This record gives sequence, structure tokens and C-alpha cells, in this order.
Amino acid sequence: MEAPAGGHLLLALVGLSMTILLITALMGAAKQGGLLTEANFLTVSLILYGGATALYVAYAVTGTSRFVTFASLATWVGFAASTMAVAHRWAEAGRPPFANIYEMLLAFVWTLGALTLFVEKRYGVRVIGTVTLPLAVVSVLLMQVMPSGVHPLVPALQSVWLHIHVSLAMLSYAGCAISFALAMMFLVQDKMKTESFLAWTSGMIGAVYVGALATRFDPSGGLRVAAWDAAEGHQIFFAERTPLLVVIPSLGWLFLVVLLVVLAPLGLYLWSRTSERPEPVLDWANRMFFVGALLQIIACGVFLLRVKEGLYRSVQPTDVNNGLFPTHLSASPFLLAGAAGALFASLLYLMLSWRRSGLERMIPPSDTLDVLTYKTIGIAFPLLTLMIAAGAYWANQAWGSYWSWDPKETWALITWLVYAGYLHMRIARGWRGRRAAYFAIIGFAVVMFTFFGVTYLLPGMHAYA
Amino acid sequence: MTDHAKSKGRAIWLWLSSIRVGIVLLILLGIVAAVGTIVLQRPLTDPEKMERAYAPDTLRLLDSLGLTDVFHTWWFAALLALLGINIVSASLDRLPLAWHYVMRPYPRPAPHFQMALPVQKSIAVRHMDQAIAATERAFRRHGLRPRRVGQDGSISLYAERNRFARLSAYVVHLSLLLLFGGGIVDALVGYRGFVTLEPGRQVKEITLRNGSNKPLPFALRCDGAGQENYPDGTPKRWWSKLAVVQDGLDVQTKEIEVNKPLVAQGIRFYQSSYGMTGHVGAIELTATKPTEAGFSKNLVVRPGDPVALDAEHKVRLVSFVPDFVKTGDRIESRSDRPNNPAIQLAVEGPGGAVDLLWIFPYFPDMSNSKHAPYDFVVRDLQMGYYTGLQVSYEPGAWAVWVGSVFLALGLMVAFYFIPMRFWAVPVDDSRGRLSLWLGAASTKNREDLAARFQRLVEDVEKDLQSENNRERPGPKVVRMPNTA
Repeated sequence: MEAPAGGHLLLALVGLSMTILLITALMGAAKQGGLLTEANFLTVSLILYGGATALYVAYAVTGTSRFVTFASLATWVGFAASTMAVAHRWAEAGRPPFANIYEMLLAFVWTLGALTLFVEKRYGVRVIGTVTLPLAVVSVLLMQVMPSGVHPLVPALQSVWLHIHVSLAMLSYAGCAISFALAMMFLVQDKMKTESFLAWTSGMIGAVYVGALATRFDPSGGLRVAAWDAAEGHQIFFAERTPLLVVIPSLGWLFLVVLLVVLAPLGLYLWSRTSERPEPVLDWANRMFFVGALLQIIACGVFLLRVKEGLYRSVQPTDVNNGLFPTHLSASPFLLAGAAGALFASLLYLMLSWRRSGLERMIPPSDTLDVLTYKTIGIAFPLLTLMIAAGAYWANQAWGSYWSWDPKETWALITWLVYAGYLHMRIARGWRGRRAAYFAIIGFAVVMFTFFGVTYLLPGMHAYA
Repeated sequence: MTDHAKSKGRAIWLWLSSIRVGIVLLILLGIVAAVGTIVLQRPLTDPEKMERAYAPDTLRLLDSLGLTDVFHTWWFAALLALLGINIVSASLDRLPLAWHYVMRPYPRPAPHFQMALPVQKSIAVRHMDQAIAATERAFRRHGLRPRRVGQDGSISLYAERNRFARLSAYVVHLSLLLLFGGGIVDALVGYRGFVTLEPGRQVKEITLRNGSNKPLPFALRCDGAGQENYPDGTPKRWWSKLAVVQDGLDVQTKEIEVNKPLVAQGIRFYQSSYGMTGHVGAIELTATKPTEAGFSKNLVVRPGDPVALDAEHKVRLVSFVPDFVKTGDRIESRSDRPNNPAIQLAVEGPGGAVDLLWIFPYFPDMSNSKHAPYDFVVRDLQMGYYTGLQVSYEPGAWAVWVGSVFLALGLMVAFYFIPMRFWAVPVDDSRGRLSLWLGAASTKNREDLAARFQRLVEDVEKDLQSENNRERPGPKVVRMPNTA
């Protein structure tokens, strides 16, 4: 399905924006000195993956095969840049990048790029970039705001098992990410109703904003974020383990408005299920979703701008600095990642709702996707098993205990259990297809929780990563 | 057994060995484990922290439900046991078929099997021998090793791949059970604890995680310990020189560091930490006599050992406070670090006379040594260090590692080596027309098998086609006999 000459216009636009961004980054880098640095390679891969994402989405929406060709090209170049970033980091640290969450994200982004290109080439699923590359972009964004210094390894990490355990983790997690993308595409091909996608996406974005507001809404209507010491490059601490918080005024109200608008589609969907004429209700739900997406962009924009300028009143009483402190993007990496992820999910849903039939023509049939999901998990699962075993062996060498029901270990086990369940579903009659796809999606959510959630919400011995 | 009991038993067996029950058990275990990470667990958390985190009623409820030590409750063990039974019964249920498959290959399928096979194709052929030969070549080109089956007149072909991979699922589950077994043995018989050692000292017992002491079958002596730091001050390396002493002899010595433990008689000692004891190791003093200018003697006092000052006097370290602070009448230490050391010495003279005096190196004016025959000045202070070792005895660990390795290997074989079988059987239908029946079967990945079979059949057909072309009469080349 070839689109008319409009394809050239979009290509030119995307190409132009990428070029402008690259030149800007180049000038910024030249000013700072040092062109071939890891940070610059990462920026290049961010710009290229971002452009590739735009082109993949355009391909998914219009079907112009020229888009996907260039999207693939952009992915290849972005992957080359990502490889250079990894190589640079490796050379500088004298060891592979596995020692902290910044380095693990670096490895994860690389593996995600490699697997996307592999699945594209080997299985011909060309649209897989629409789901995996946004994940890579969010990860690189997260990395931009994390402390990236190279530190020597503490004694427990000085072991070859670090490299073995973490590479296995990255490979298996990236495999799970691919299977997640395939399972999502399966749901599209399996004729899951667009309204169901609407409800779930709306619910998930709502959960992100509920999480942000529940922990950060200030009674004055502002949003609390951590204060940042730009000179030292880390959060300002009020007391031991307690970061100093500042309030960005009115941002709390804005986020609250976003939350209400974003949850409206879910509410309308639930209403439509009981109403006699669901179509007009669902139309309104989709309109609200679109408005919600726009509001998210506005909220993200306001957040980015406010966070860069100005001093804000601290929450905890203090006399230092007259109680006014600056903040920075780096102080709120998870807020940023959550907002960016929610935005991407919104855009993906909008793409689905506008061009579902076109998408369905472009994606392989549901049976193929079902088999591919199974095969991908068939690759990821042995790697996951080895990762847990290697981690246990290493823990035994370092701490004298191969299993202590540590939160990270336990959640890795839960991930393993969910995927083990998935693999058996093909044997149990009637549990193929849709139910298996749900399992694959839940499995990936558990992987994300194991990777990020445990580190930041459930601390334990695994404190390094 | 009555029929009713038998059918009930059968129903229970079917339920126990069903995959669905297994999947449900996996989900339940996952949920319980998740709860165990969200609710604070008693083994890992201090009791005070538990009481601070939950209201007393909530804590009582959580305790009574076992949610504060989920992984050691009877019902968690029961879930694991059920899963084990499920794995065993499901495997036993399916093993006979798999064993049959592996032990007795099916070289020549019967007609009813041929008819029912989903992946098959019949090709019309002219000469069966040629067809079989062509098929054999095609099989070989596709990586199969065909076997001729039957006698002259009716030869069929049979090829298979990865026959033994049929058992991979059983290897996987057996390894899992072995892994479980190792864990159970360690839970019942193994133990974990810690011990702190000061250089030069020796211990004969360790403290277990539950607080009780456990004697060691040998003594462990520390001959030295230390910490090396990176230029930025973060720890680079902790090490301890350990010696295992049995019947007075050093049977083993090793310098251990993190990730490199000492193993003696199955008990493992891990370098875990290194720190200050808060007690003093040695104090270097200079003694002066107020009555005798010019007298000066350097000496070193250690806790417990008196040092002679002269023929009649001895000095002894009575007490040491590393970070002295006086609250009211009480002397306390703010920390274990020698931030404000206070040293109490006793000068013992003839006739049992004892003078006690305090020295504050950072506050010389506070030192009171009013009537003592000697004055002391502190030259150097060496704090005592301890090395912290984690100790574990895990007799079942080997089963866990062997189980893990075979689990991973079994999984890889299960996913990458799919058992497949291919047949080529001559069929003579009642009207005398010859055709070659080709069929294939595999235990998994039907789509891949179908694709592979398709390519094989096309290859056979192409081969036969070119053979037929060769056969077709073309312009004959007549050889003229060589006439003389």
C-alpha cells in the first residue's frame, strides 16, 4: 500500500529535524571539547532512535514502505552509535559496563537495538521498532539524568560473575521486551477491541499520574521534587537518607487536571459497557483520550521548563539559602521516565485507533505472532534461568548464601514463574493465543518491576542495581 | 479397590497431573512471593523496625497469618510440595509415551497412520527404485540421514532428528526437583551465621542467624586482616589471613577476600566486613617523672598487660573510651571511632598503692594525674580491628548447582532441538499406479516442520522431474559400427 507523494514530506521533515538536532549536539560537544565521548555517542543514538521511532510510527500509520526502510537505516546508525558508547565506556572503565544502573541501562539499550534489528531481519516483523524503540528512547532519556561517573568496583562486585550475571540479565530482559512487543501486536491481530486497548492504556497512564501525585502533591497545589545541588551533581539531603524536597507551584494542579482527563476515557469506557448505545460514549472517550495526550505534552513541557529555571521553596523547614533551592531533571528521573513512557503509550494508542485496519495489514497474522512470541520466550527463558543460577552462585561466593529471599532475587523468581507458566500454556488446551499473550505482557511488566521497581521501591542487599 | 474409589483416585490423579493445576500453582507461588517482598519479613528486618513500620494490631494480624515470614510458613512449603507432586505426576503420566518414542522408533508407518498425518504429500512416480534413490539424495541434501526399511520389492525410507531430545522436558523437571531437593537439605541440615575475629585471636564457635551459638569442629585463627581503599576512599579490598587449627596443628591456611571464601570440612567462611572494634589495640606512651627532670621512658600498653615502669612501679591500662562524652555523671562513648579518646591508667606501686589517672590526648589540661609518681603523654594510638566473616554450611549446594546446569541445558535442548521424523513409503494403489507417500511429524513447531517438509518435497519433485526428462526419448545418436 504505497502512500502518495506525502511520504517524501514526512521523510524530509524527520530527516531535517534529526540533522538539526545532530548539528546542535555537535556544536554543544565541540564547545565542551571532546567529540568522541560516551555522552555524545549516546546523544547521537537518542536522536537517531527518536527519528527511527517517528518513521516506524509513520510506517505503521500510512504503510509507506519507504518509511520503514529509512527507519531501519536510522536504527542501524543509532545502533552503531550505541555500540560506540558501550565500547567507550568499557575502555574508560577497564571492564564491561555492568556495575550500576546507568551502565546496565547502557547495556540494555544496546541489547534492545540488537534484538530489534535481529527480529526485523530474521522474522521480517518490520514494525517491531514501534514498540521496542520507544523503550530504548525512554531508557536513554533516563540515562541522561542519572549519575554517570565511572567508579571503581566495590569488593563484592569484583568478580567475573558480575559480567556473566548482568549480560545474561540484559539479554533475557531484552528478549522479554521483544516478546512483549510481539504479544501486543498479537492482541491487535486477534481482534481485541480497540476500546479494550483504550481502557487499559488510559488506566496505565492514570496509574502513572496517580503514583506521581500520591507521593508528590503538595497541599499548596504544587508538585514536590527533590532539590538538586548543581555544583556537586547530586540531590541535596535534609537528613540521612532523606532528600530535601522543594515545591514547584501550580504544577500539582496541572498534573491533577491531566490525571482527571486521562482517566475520563476509562470512566467513559466503563459507562459504555452498561449503556444501550455505546458508540457515542466511546467516541467521546476517544476524544478525551486525544485531549489527554495533548495535556500530557503540555504538562511534560511545563515540567521541563520549570525544572530548569528558578529557585523553589523547600518543604522541610530550613534556614539555608533562605529556604529556596534549585532543582534539575536529574533529581526526578522516575517522574520523567513515567511521563515520557505514558506519552509514548498514548501515541501508540492513538496510532492504533486511527489506523487499525492499515496496521493489521502490515503485521503478520495472529498465528505467526503467537508462534513468534513463543519462540522469543523460548530464547529468553533459558537465559533467564541461567541468569538466576549465575546470580545465586555469585551470591554464594560473595555473601555465603545462594538464596536469601532478597526482594530482587524473589522478583527474579516471580518473573521466572510467570514465564514458566506461559511456556506451559501451549500444552494446556485452550490456553493458547489470547491468554498466553496476556501472560507474556504481564511477564514483561514483572521484568520491568524486577529491574527498576525493586531497586527504588524495595531496597535490600541488591543495593547496587 | 471398588470401582468408585478407583475412579475417584483416577480423577485425583488427573487433577494432580494436569498442566492447568501446575500453572495455577505457579501463579499462586508468584503472588505469595510478591507479598513476601512487600510485607517486611522478620528474618531480614530488625524487630524494632517491624514495630515502627506497622501498628500493633496490624503486626499481630500479619504475624498470625505468617505473612511476616512467608517463606518459612507451613503453607508455603505445602504449595511447593504440591508443585513438586504436580511435576512428578505430570511427568510420570507422559513419560511412557516419550520413552516409547525414544526407545522404539517407527520406521514404517501403517496406512491408517499415513492417512491421518497432517504433514504429508503423495507424488506419482514411474519407477519406484529411482524414486526412492532420488528421495534418499534429497533427504541427505536436507541434513537427514535416511535409512532403508523393508526388503526388496518394498523399500521405504525413514529419517529422524533429535530423537533423544524428546526426553529433554523430563531432564528439565528432574533437574528442577534435584534443585528443590538441594534447597530442602540445606534448609533442614545447613546453617548460616557469622563470626568476628581480631587478629591474633582464635574462635571455636560461631553465632547463627537465630542468635544461638554453634561449635565448630575445629578452631579458626586470624593471623591478620586489613582493608585497602581506592584513591577516593571507597573500600577496594578486605582481606583476612585465616588458619584452621585441628589438634593444635594448622591444617589449612588461606588469605581470603570477598568472593574468595575459605572452605574447611564443608564449612565456608566468607570475608564480609572489616571494622573497628571500638576497643584499643595498643597505646604508645612516654612516661615522665615529675620529680626527676630528664627522665623519659617509652612504653606500649595493651589491654590487660601491665608494663613495668621501674623496679617498684607498674602501669596498667584500666579503661579506654574512644569518643568520650560526659552526660551527667556518666561517662559514655559517642562512637567507636577515636574522635576524643580518654585513657584511664593505673600506676601500681609498692605495698599495693594504686593511683588512677585519666589522660585526654586532645584536652591535656583535663588530664588529672595529681599524685601519681609518673606523668604520661600519648604518642600513638592503635585501635583494634576485627574482621567479619559470614559462615555457612550448605551440604545440599552441589545439588542446586548440578540441578541448575542441567535445567538450563535441558531447556536449551528442549527449545532448539525438536524431534522430527520423515518417511517415504511406496504406495501401489489397486489400479497399478505407483506413488510415493512422503510424511513428516514433529513434537513441536508444526509450522517449521511444514516449511521444512515443503522444501524437501519440492526438492524430491525437482529431482524426479529432471530424471523423467533424462528418460524422455530425445534425438538418438546412432553410433555407426566401425566398419573395417
